[in-house]
Amino acid sequence: MHLFDRLAALGRFGLFTTRVIRRLITPPWEIEEISRQVWLLCSRCALPVLATTTPLGMVMALQGLVIFSIFEAEQYLSPLISVATFRELSPVLASVLVAAQGGSSFAAELGAMRIHEEIDATEVMAIDPIRIHVVPRLAAILLACPLLNLLGSLGGIGGGFVSAVWIKGHPGTLYWSELWSMTGGMDLIGGQIKALVFGAIIGLVATYEGFFASGGAPGVGRAVNRTVVTSATTFIVVNYFLTSALFGVPH
Amino acid sequence: MSPDRTSVSRTLVPDPVAIRIEELRKSFGDLVVLDGVSLDILQGKTTAILGPSGCGKSVLLKHIVGLLRPDSGHVWIDGIDMAIATPEEKLQVRKRFGMLFQHGALFEDLTAGENIAFPLRYHTRLTAAQRRARAQEVLELVEMPELHDRPTSALSGGQRKRVALARAIVLEPQVVLFDEPNSGLDPMTSTTIDDLILRMKERLGITFVVITHDIVQAVRISDWVGMLWQGRLVAYAPLPVFLHSEHPIVRRFLSRTL
Amino acid sequence: MSLLPGLARFGRFLGQIVWSTVSNPLPVGRALEEAHRIGVNSLPILLVVSVFVGTNLSVQGASAFSTIHAERYVGMFVALAGVREMAPIMVASMVAAKAGTEMASQIAVMRIQEQIDALEVMAIDPYWFLITPRLLGILLVLPALTMISIFTLVVSAYGVAITQLGLDGHTFLEQATATTHAMDLVYCAVKAFVFGLVICVLSCYHGFTSGAGASGVGRATNAAVVMAAVSCAILNYLLSELLFG
Ligand SMILES: Nc1ncnc2c1ncn2[C@@H]1O[C@H](COP(=O)(O)OP(=O)(O)O)[C@@H](O)[C@H]1O
Ligand SMILES: [Mg+2]
Repeated sequence: MHLFDRLAALGRFGLFTTRVIRRLITPPWEIEEISRQVWLLCSRCALPVLATTTPLGMVMALQGLVIFSIFEAEQYLSPLISVATFRELSPVLASVLVAAQGGSSFAAELGAMRIHEEIDATEVMAIDPIRIHVVPRLAAILLACPLLNLLGSLGGIGGGFVSAVWIKGHPGTLYWSELWSMTGGMDLIGGQIKALVFGAIIGLVATYEGFFASGGAPGVGRAVNRTVVTSATTFIVVNYFLTSALFGVPH
Repeated sequence: MSPDRTSVSRTLVPDPVAIRIEELRKSFGDLVVLDGVSLDILQGKTTAILGPSGCGKSVLLKHIVGLLRPDSGHVWIDGIDMAIATPEEKLQVRKRFGMLFQHGALFEDLTAGENIAFPLRYHTRLTAAQRRARAQEVLELVEMPELHDRPTSALSGGQRKRVALARAIVLEPQVVLFDEPNSGLDPMTSTTIDDLILRMKERLGITFVVITHDIVQAVRISDWVGMLWQGRLVAYAPLPVFLHSEHPIVRRFLSRTL
Repeated sequence: MSLLPGLARFGRFLGQIVWSTVSNPLPVGRALEEAHRIGVNSLPILLVVSVFVGTNLSVQGASAFSTIHAERYVGMFVALAGVREMAPIMVASMVAAKAGTEMASQIAVMRIQEQIDALEVMAIDPYWFLITPRLLGILLVLPALTMISIFTLVVSAYGVAITQLGLDGHTFLEQATATTHAMDLVYCAVKAFVFGLVICVLSCYHGFTSGAGASGVGRATNAAVVMAAVSCAILNYLLSELLFG
């Protein structure tokens, strides 16, 4: 029974995904609504993303100095921060925050629409609710995630600088001159690929949970809860495989 | 206080006052909801407060139990001003009060019986079995004896109202407040609830305050009726006097009856 | 902006929690129930996440250290980054996502359905009834969850190191245990304790102050998880500086 429910939910998610993607790749697109959602998402998420990646960059510098002072290899501090930020910290953390802020607000908005029968009303008016409510949100998150990832990277590197140079007295010129010594184009591109994949996961999970919310106001709360938990868990799992595939050690 | 209202209440009323409301004012931002409301609610009587929806009836009730703090004015209960009462004083008053919320406000994760036994658990020394028995007793009083173990989420609107009513009276309060006991119910269930209130009135001798927009209900159950309109109490009188009031708003409300 | 009144309101909320907790009997039974529920609900996702964060750390460490030919330090890297930093903040984020949002949405629903008002009218302190058990529960269970997560993370990192990465298992463990002191675990528990406090208080606050209707509940839940995640990240830095700096 339990297992059957889960399989049914998975099937419904698959169906929903194909319905959404089919509309995502065919016109007409609600350009105006998409740009509004991009703006909304960026303005809602920018501050939370910065406010988490910066302190994590600072922590990395703090612990990094512990490691590198053992080897007397402090010139490796900023390259380590830069690589870790572009590859891992920023894509994962920015996405966690986009899930918490953007994804959960998608679920809350769509869930409230469902509960208030707005989605049914749209359908009765012969308007496709997926095209006007779901697709713009998914498109917006795909566009916004790389931007927010870039912002998160700046936050991580800036945070590392503040902690290492201003607080711990690591030489500032060394920090900047060595920053790019180990970071290649692949790190930037790989990070952006991660951000896009995570964005897609968040967008699909959030709109699915919101679109099929049921059971009044508590149902909306549950939809938000499940969105954050499911998307965060999923992309931490996916992240391991992406890291191995994109940056894995060649034997 | 408007002069005619005071003269009525001073001459016609021998009963002691249970709740005295004086010049109550409350705004939410720019929205003035209560604009100087005064009335005396009499001990052992049933008082109905009528008014169109959105006129501030629920807000008035929440001031009585101290859930809202007025911008100015007083609510006197047993010498305590609920407007400025300390938490301890509020507790002291509330332990003698029962309140039926507009939508029941039942705890969704408990059964009907557990909802009713809830105040007993925190305010009496009864054992679990005694609480169960008492909850069942009150359920029988509201004519829903079979609901004891039903999950709250499985109750219909009318059942919810009655279970909430049972919870409100389980501690045998001296004052019971009802916020729209009939809203959202069909006429049959409404009548049953009215009968229930009437029966409790005889048996328990409690002070009832009933907020309603249902003139039929007000006529059936109340001794005194007040009319709230645009933040003011435009009429307040014993039922027979109220029914012959010349006030235009009251006449408009009454004209809807038959 | 409405920053100052908001802070004042939050301050009063905190004071009320403290006052209600100390001036009423301790709800021991319900606190244990909450601890059990939070633990059981969060454990599965925490295990999954810990496994994959551990494996990822190993891969990441190996790839970073291979450029300077110092792969033998992967164990140390996992211990430093994983135990001291990743595990506490990761557990906090997942518990904020799972249990925090649940607290926020449950309490918000109780607020909009006037159940909190009903508690007050029944002369039952809603702070004591709703927040105290959740607070005690999360404070009890979060350090334990963090320890479980640390263990899982290190084991999975070790697994990947010796299989996928072909590193020497003995060196890995030696490095990892040499870097992790008993005090580190105590510090992690301290972090977990603080994060638990922050998650619970913020989630309950947003639930208590929820706006009306289904959208109010949604917004409260949303705000709770974002505020909790951001606050934990910032506090994590301050605590690391204080404890390990
Ligand atoms: N907490 C609140 N914040 C802002 N406005 C409120 C609040 N409570 C009630 N109101 C407003 O006060 C007015 C009266 O509400 P209420 O007393 O619930 O009406 P009713 O007479 O139907 O019970 C309404 O316009 C409502 O929107
Ligand atoms: Mg009302």
